[in-house]
Amino acid sequence: MGAKSLVNELRQIVGKANVLDSTVDLQLYQYDAYLEERRPDAVVFVHSTDEVAGVVRVCNKYGVPFVPRGGGTNLSGGTIPSKGGVVLEMIRMNRILEVDRPNLRARVQPGLFNLELGTALAPLGYQYLPDPASQKAATLGGNVAENSGGPHCFKYGVTTNHVLGLTVVLPDGSVAKFGGKALDAPGYDLTGVFVGSEGTLGICTEVVVRIVRLAEGVKTMLAIYDSIEEGSQTVSAIVAAGMVPATLEMMDQLVIKAVEESIHCGLPLDCTTVLIIEVDGLKDDLDAQVQAIVDLCKTHGAREVRVAKDEAERASLWAGRRGAFGAVARIAPSYLVCDGTVPRTALPKVLRKVSEVSKKYNLMIPNVFHAGDGNLHPLILFDWRDPDQKARVMKAGMEILELCVEMGGTISGEHGVGLEKIDAMRLVFTEADIRSQVRVKQAFDRKNLANPGKMFPLPEGVHRAA
Amino acid sequence: MRPDLAGLRGQLEQIVGVERAVADGPTAIKFSVDGIASALVVQPGTQDEVSGVLAACAAADAAVVPWGGGAAMGLGNPPRRADVVMRLDRLDRVVEFDAANLCVTVEAGVKLAALQIALAQKRETLPLDPPADSKVTAGGLVAANLSGPSRLLYGTARDWVLGMRVALPSGERVHCGGKVIKNVSGYDMNKLFVGSLGTLGIITEVTFKLLPLPATRAAVVGLFPDLAPATEVVRRTLESVLLPEAMDLLDADAMTLVAPRLGLEAPAGACGLAVAVAGSRETVERQVRDFSAFFRGAGGRATPIPDGRSVLAWDTIRNVMGLLPAPLAGRVLCKIAVPIGRTGELFVSAGALGRRHGLPSAVTAHAGSGIIWACFLLGPAAPPDEAVADALESLRREAEDAEGSLVLQDAPARLKARVDAWGKPGDGFDVMKRLKAEFDPMGVCNPGRFLGGI
Repeated sequence: MGAKSLVNELRQIVGKANVLDSTVDLQLYQYDAYLEERRPDAVVFVHSTDEVAGVVRVCNKYGVPFVPRGGGTNLSGGTIPSKGGVVLEMIRMNRILEVDRPNLRARVQPGLFNLELGTALAPLGYQYLPDPASQKAATLGGNVAENSGGPHCFKYGVTTNHVLGLTVVLPDGSVAKFGGKALDAPGYDLTGVFVGSEGTLGICTEVVVRIVRLAEGVKTMLAIYDSIEEGSQTVSAIVAAGMVPATLEMMDQLVIKAVEESIHCGLPLDCTTVLIIEVDGLKDDLDAQVQAIVDLCKTHGAREVRVAKDEAERASLWAGRRGAFGAVARIAPSYLVCDGTVPRTALPKVLRKVSEVSKKYNLMIPNVFHAGDGNLHPLILFDWRDPDQKARVMKAGMEILELCVEMGGTISGEHGVGLEKIDAMRLVFTEADIRSQVRVKQAFDRKNLANPGKMFPLPEGVHRAA
Repeated sequence: MRPDLAGLRGQLEQIVGVERAVADGPTAIKFSVDGIASALVVQPGTQDEVSGVLAACAAADAAVVPWGGGAAMGLGNPPRRADVVMRLDRLDRVVEFDAANLCVTVEAGVKLAALQIALAQKRETLPLDPPADSKVTAGGLVAANLSGPSRLLYGTARDWVLGMRVALPSGERVHCGGKVIKNVSGYDMNKLFVGSLGTLGIITEVTFKLLPLPATRAAVVGLFPDLAPATEVVRRTLESVLLPEAMDLLDADAMTLVAPRLGLEAPAGACGLAVAVAGSRETVERQVRDFSAFFRGAGGRATPIPDGRSVLAWDTIRNVMGLLPAPLAGRVLCKIAVPIGRTGELFVSAGALGRRHGLPSAVTAHAGSGIIWACFLLGPAAPPDEAVADALESLRREAEDAEGSLVLQDAPARLKARVDAWGKPGDGFDVMKRLKAEFDPMGVCNPGRFLGGI
């Protein structure tokens, strides 16, 4: 296909220095936060919608796949160029184009880190609500592609609830605006369809998001339990009492131990569960809500409930949760993060089964989960250098997803399908369901150039070439 | 080629039973869309039957018009063709109400008001409040993307649908999403079908996320001598930390209709601003206090409406257009959507259109969402249709210049012949056409009524 002439044409669009094609450079772009690797044929640093459109048109001309890449934090292999081709490095399109307070919108470029938007809005008294745990390193373009969640979804929803407009370079290289600052644009909700499409429908180059005022007050609590059931029952009791906390996060004993050994945030090593609860909103009833929640925690067996008195104490209650993945990484060389979701009341049962899976495959599986929305993240620990362990990890991960589906849940709450869960798609979808999604793909990307080889299993009976 | 409707009727009778496939004149006329009557009206009783009927129609190349409660049948352009009306009101079962997990699954024909009553028994609610909710069905709510005042705090159908089942013209039955809040397994297919007006398939079942019913509610209604102070209060509210559920602006005509029903005396020419607040007693009391002070500070008169009466008051407010008389020549209901900060501007322009052309009208707005509703009555003194059409087009241009849109939510067919219901399609229309072609290659699903003739 003439790799040389492809690279030359790319250089004409973005300049010589903005195209990487040496083996060493390309190796840096062959992985993300998942476990697979595949080297791209070229990496292009893009700086504008026009450049992205130009690059995509060249890819069309040569019939070469393209994959956008933001922070590279994807946990399901979404950023890995599994069919080779061109990786578009979006990270330099990182400007906040506009903070439009009268219209309660912000217009941003996709390479902006999620946290940077929050940091820019906070002094103005505003916030963008979705805050995935990876927000320091995850870009808004990546959030859009994955429909990212985070610890505040129970009350505030996920990325798609806060993205109102997109500028998109379609897979044929044309540019279209979907939605915008106004709501209810006539026609199909292409913004809604695009959010969560994992780079398979095109590349967004500008995002219009909803911004809201910072809550007047926030209160954070941490409850400590001797059994995971008690923690789960507390969560159900809080919801049944008609309260809608902004956060309900749980960690199990293995995570607590890892966290405590790594950052010493004062968690008792002999407890089995901690539950972090945060309520926010108008300040008038926050103290009453805190009291009601503390009472519920105690009724349901909490041995201790800590209530943050100020911002410093709040940060310290959060420190353990925010540091959880990092702390766990100290225990073993690798881990696979599962991302199943179940109806919240099924959590205790699923967690019991996860511990059975852990015994069955002889793998350590600490658990972190968003208890309010039923999204659990068992972290299956292993050593990637041991092929036998890796095989067991894959089996264990699949078994956990099967459990989630059995309980009325699904295979991914916020990390995406990517490469990891292609086969698991059949656990939740029929062939007809999958075909209907492929129809969407075809309407956007007839040539199958936008991040191909992701998300969809091949039709039954057809096998993937090795 | 005309479809073989006699043959099709026989097939449909096989599927739904003889008495549920009707071809007589009066029924067909009752279920006509923009004056276009279908030859057949079928009333399937199960989701399987919906799927069977749709597949049979598609095979016979017969165009199908889905019909829930009929609340949104005025929306969109006149159908390009209509052979079979598919009534969905017999699909009225609550499939699963999982109160502990705050979600409910219902068949498409379940009426919203009835659903709310069932949910309230477990102290839960679906916070979507379109007008005419005793008529609106779950499927219609979603397919037509209907909304009401409380979209300010809670959003719209796209934010509350967790899953759905859809019958496709291919004969396939597919499900999208699920019953969990966070779900990124594959594309977010729910978004494709929300607001697609039955042009891609027929929604047969919907799973909604729910909220605990707030402990207390209240409303504050403000009366202002003119619009400027009211819009100033809106601006200040949006800059504040207050969290009203709803904030509707009503022009003098709308206020005149609403005021007596709320037990208020509105001075002539006074416009209104109503806010709804909900939550704990403490936050509700505080917001009632703050809003009353806001209203008075801006020179308005504030009347708090306590819990118990506030729900009824809001029922009146969101249904205000239904209080207008229905002239023989019809009426035009426009929904204008603009960036929030431009609401006041378009609100004024919509009212001015009515006055300039001698059309009795009422204008309201979901003021924190940028949504303006303008209803114009085509009474005996109305100018010729072409003048009305020109006026609507110029209002639409103004909305589009503000990066927004104007959609005819309801209008007589003869006027729709002059004014497109949706306006000119913009970016993304090529993709929309391809989506339509992928899902409905024969063009049998509600053809012609959607954007750009889809």
